[in-house]
Amino acid sequence: MAGSEQARWPGPAGGAGADPELALLLSRIARGDQRAYEQFYDRAAGPVLGLVLSVLRDLAQSEEVMQEVLLEAWRTASRYDPARGSAMSWLMMLAHRRAVDRVRSEQRAAEREQRATSAQVDYDDVTEAVESALDRERVRRCLDALTDLQRESVTLAYYGGYSYSEVARLLGVPPGTVKTRMRDGLIRLRDCLGAQ
Amino acid sequence: MGGRRGRDRAEVHLLAGAYALNALSGPDQARFERHLAGCEQCRLEVRGFAETAARLGASQAVRPRPELRDQALRTAARTRQLPPGPGLRPGRARPGAAPARARRRRPGAGPWPRWAAAGVAAAVLAAATVAGVTALRYEHRISQDQASGHELAAVLSAPDVVMLTAKVTGGGKATVLMSHHMRALVFAVAGLPPLPAAKGYELWLIGPSGSRPQGMLPAGPARPVMVAGLAHGDQVGVTVEPRDGSAQPTTRPLLLMPLE
Repeated sequence: MAGSEQARWPGPAGGAGADPELALLLSRIARGDQRAYEQFYDRAAGPVLGLVLSVLRDLAQSEEVMQEVLLEAWRTASRYDPARGSAMSWLMMLAHRRAVDRVRSEQRAAEREQRATSAQVDYDDVTEAVESALDRERVRRCLDALTDLQRESVTLAYYGGYSYSEVARLLGVPPGTVKTRMRDGLIRLRDCLGAQ
Repeated sequence: MGGRRGRDRAEVHLLAGAYALNALSGPDQARFERHLAGCEQCRLEVRGFAETAARLGASQAVRPRPELRDQALRTAARTRQLPPGPGLRPGRARPGAAPARARRRRPGAGPWPRWAAAGVAAAVLAAATVAGVTALRYEHRISQDQASGHELAAVLSAPDVVMLTAKVTGGGKATVLMSHHMRALVFAVAGLPPLPAAKGYELWLIGPSGSRPQGMLPAGPARPVMVAGLAHGDQVGVTVEPRDGSAQPTTRPLLLMPLE
């Protein structure tokens, strides 16, 4: 006989995708439920801030963007379509786009080139850990399993907020190579994270 | 098939990774979104990549200063929300309608690309192992024009709704969303192994007073099934039966989910 389990509230450690309750919260938020938004905030703020901070590298700006992202989630909760992905991936897309918009509008190319070096090595550099230490360790292990070029292509784009042509310039390889490395890297990450 | 066309297609497909990482420039992004509209495999791949990227993102979580919380809640309380938008329902999605200019946000549209939602059902099922509720909600959206959709919607939005999941022996994952108050549940299962044509999966309520058949599960995509009239002590069961069903289970249940 198969066991059954009451749905719990998995923290980020349970894997960002495996969070159906976040989707349920969004559907309540779409109906204007402020209690649901409180719970949503408590679970979403940390991941959003972490991702934004990895792109922007500036706490004050990142907090601002985090608030914008969470407000956008409140505002557009009714547009979240579970058929297209988990609530966490929707939220992370919102966050990433906001962060990248901000960095591209405000930072001059020269400054960005400078930051590249740190973005490259600092993917695990977080100031203050929350309960996701385990998840971070998994992600780190999976990143470590990539080739250097795959890892740098993925992390510069995602944590650094660079476009693939910028990544190509930073790494001194043809854009076509970066494209394929990003895809190959994500395939390996997907398999690696999925397998754990 | 012209070689150039084929090569372009293969090449644009390779953009899936950069796309999921939000690393495409405007023209490339528009090109890829047009491609997505007609490429189911790409949509699946992008979905998977987006979940992977979300893992990368969420793994960086840091604790925000507590005082930001109140501020966010207050701001939300006085911010008007958008009504559900057009284009969400599968029938209305417009393939190939990706705007050529916007590289980034379309205000109010959220982060989803505008590829056709038709055919996404398969992707939903793929995700159902992660979030059974996703499949349920999606199917619910499809069926809400139908009469049965109303009951289903009522369960899904009941204030006391709880979600239970269980593995099915031999493969598959079952998800139940149940309202005790309504004495009803919505059942969905994904990943059941295919059966010979003469057999099917039958759904049961199995309680202290015996087993009540709840119908055969539709083959193929996991359509959610509405089950009403729950009694105390009932469990949800699934057995393999002849295609037309049995009055009583004739094989050992592959699933037996207590509902407490």
